[in-house]
Amino acid sequence: MANPSPILRQLGCFRSLMKPQSLQHAQISRRSITTAYTPKSQPLDFPSKMPKTFLSQIPTHLQPHSRKKLKVYPPPASATTTCKDAVGAVNQSQLETLDPTGERKALFDYRRNPRSVKVGDIVRVTFKNGDPFAGVCLSIRLRGHDTSFLLRNQLSRVGVEMWVKALSPNVESVEIVQRTAHRKRRARLYYMRQPRHDMGTVENIVTNYLRQKQGLRGIKGRGGRGQRR
Amino acid sequence: MIQLKSMLNCIDNSGAAVVECVNVLKKKRAATVGDRIVVVVQKQRNFASEGAGGSISNKVRRGDIRHAVIVRVRKEMQRPDGSSVKFDDNACVLINKSGDPIGTRMNGVVATELRDKQWSKILSLAPLHV
Amino acid sequence: MPPRILGNLPQLPCLPKGSLFTIIRANVPTRSFGIRSLNPPKASRFNVGADLPVLKSTPTAALERKSRTLPLRTGTIVIKKGMTGLFDPETGKRVPCTVLQLDRVEVVSHKTRQIHGYNAVQLGSGWKHPSNMTKSLLGHFSASGVSPKRHVYEFRVKDEAGLLPVGQMINADWFQTGQYVDARSHAKGKGFAGVMKRHGFGGQDRSHGVSLKHRSMGSSGPGQGGGSRVYPGKKMAGNMGNQQNTVQNLKILKVDSENGIIVVQGAVSGPKGCQVRIQDAIKKPWPEVAPAELPAETPAEPTA
Repeated sequence: MANPSPILRQLGCFRSLMKPQSLQHAQISRRSITTAYTPKSQPLDFPSKMPKTFLSQIPTHLQPHSRKKLKVYPPPASATTTCKDAVGAVNQSQLETLDPTGERKALFDYRRNPRSVKVGDIVRVTFKNGDPFAGVCLSIRLRGHDTSFLLRNQLSRVGVEMWVKALSPNVESVEIVQRTAHRKRRARLYYMRQPRHDMGTVENIVTNYLRQKQGLRGIKGRGGRGQRR
Repeated sequence: MIQLKSMLNCIDNSGAAVVECVNVLKKKRAATVGDRIVVVVQKQRNFASEGAGGSISNKVRRGDIRHAVIVRVRKEMQRPDGSSVKFDDNACVLINKSGDPIGTRMNGVVATELRDKQWSKILSLAPLHV
Repeated sequence: MPPRILGNLPQLPCLPKGSLFTIIRANVPTRSFGIRSLNPPKASRFNVGADLPVLKSTPTAALERKSRTLPLRTGTIVIKKGMTGLFDPETGKRVPCTVLQLDRVEVVSHKTRQIHGYNAVQLGSGWKHPSNMTKSLLGHFSASGVSPKRHVYEFRVKDEAGLLPVGQMINADWFQTGQYVDARSHAKGKGFAGVMKRHGFGGQDRSHGVSLKHRSMGSSGPGQGGGSRVYPGKKMAGNMGNQQNTVQNLKILKVDSENGIIVVQGAVSGPKGCQVRIQDAIKKPWPEVAPAELPAETPAEPTA
């Protein structure tokens, strides 16, 4: 860009006068590619008796008393970094209050615990209000403190299905009445709802089991509690 | 989820075997356990084999319009603790206008939700409840 | 009868009705143009009567009216972390709940009645890199001695007693288990939605001659008798969601001050990770706050 001669305008271009000398040299040799070190330009000293009205013509960063630096305070420690998974923490605390020993959770953790409840097992659940419910386990949902399992039975020739929350405070005890003869090849035995595959009622098996348990308890005395968990 | 035209089993000894829902009372949506509905008796139960036919005469006939309370539904019902219960059929019990059951006996399991909806009389008639 | 005359009636109670009409009819010949409604407009049902106070439009009167619904103490900014279920060990009930977390919530400044016309506490949460912040905002935070905050919100309080000292950090134990809060946040944006989704309109028939209009709104208003125009506020298709929504009376189920977690019963609008502002519920009694919990500078609040 052609520089208009500053001589013609007397004080009109005070800024160009303020420009350091080395910068102007750099402009001349702009087209050459050079790796030679050029020291950073330093602003010239201000004239000792400069009127204040000229200050506005100088770029802010070159003004004699540029603004003082703001004090930026460091952030305090954050709970979001120490506890990244807040929902998980709440769930974990639930798990600890509902199942302090971890026994109930292990009873359904079929992925890790070989002695856990498996689909196809006959399971008997006793609730806090005293009602028992027994049935074939069709499916197990592992969801931490929300772990639940589906039981199916036939009561008075009507199929009844119940999803039970494994860690619900209403569940007094869960016991395995009969394990499945061989491992089921499905994770969800929904085919057992079809009349062709329906197991029918499991009440006979459960009463047999209870009688047997009663007998064992009679032999062993009061100490034996069977498989009760 | 019982609505217009739903067919239900009738599990009392009032004489009806299969009834059809024609109206859901006090509700603008599908009925569930404990709800009162209006039904039409579609199929009668045959009591002829049960000896003294005269005494256990059918109290209702085919085509009768009666009120009924639903006691079992296919649609799963959620309990307060997050567990849920479902049955393999839809079933109801016939009642009269004042809410007393027409039949004297019931056969079959019913849902415990009846107690929450003030149908304890029906619940006490039932042999089993879940 | 022109409607204007009827409107003037209550102001002249001394005159019997019949004579009034005759006077007015005799003096003011009225002609009316256009289409008139058969039913004359009703007098206002509100603020009419001798012993009712007249509503004033001064700022003092506005604050006076608002004083019953302004919380005594500030709320806080939290992040919605997600939902889960909590079991109540006594009753065995499982309740759905939302997990909220505080992130470095500090008092940034005050709004006062003398200067700004109302009392409010300005809170900031999170952290923003100073290089991403304008100098003016940076100066604001620097003046109050807090780190640069990403989110800044105001919480109105009733009087000066509710103004916390600047720079004070608010922890999760600011709220107590069992109290109720109002949660306001931006609902999830649904984009440009039709009337059926946005306002729950019924739509039109599947058949019976309806073509290409099954999910449209029907008429947008009356014709000639109604003024041949669409009334302001007519519900139509448009952008749905992404607007502030307040959920009132959420019970606080759990407070974990160590991890800054607050668990409230029920749902809160917005996606996971959104900023939620919670404050004492205005439709419940103000919570009993122990004087020890309050900072030493402010006197104990009178609890309602």
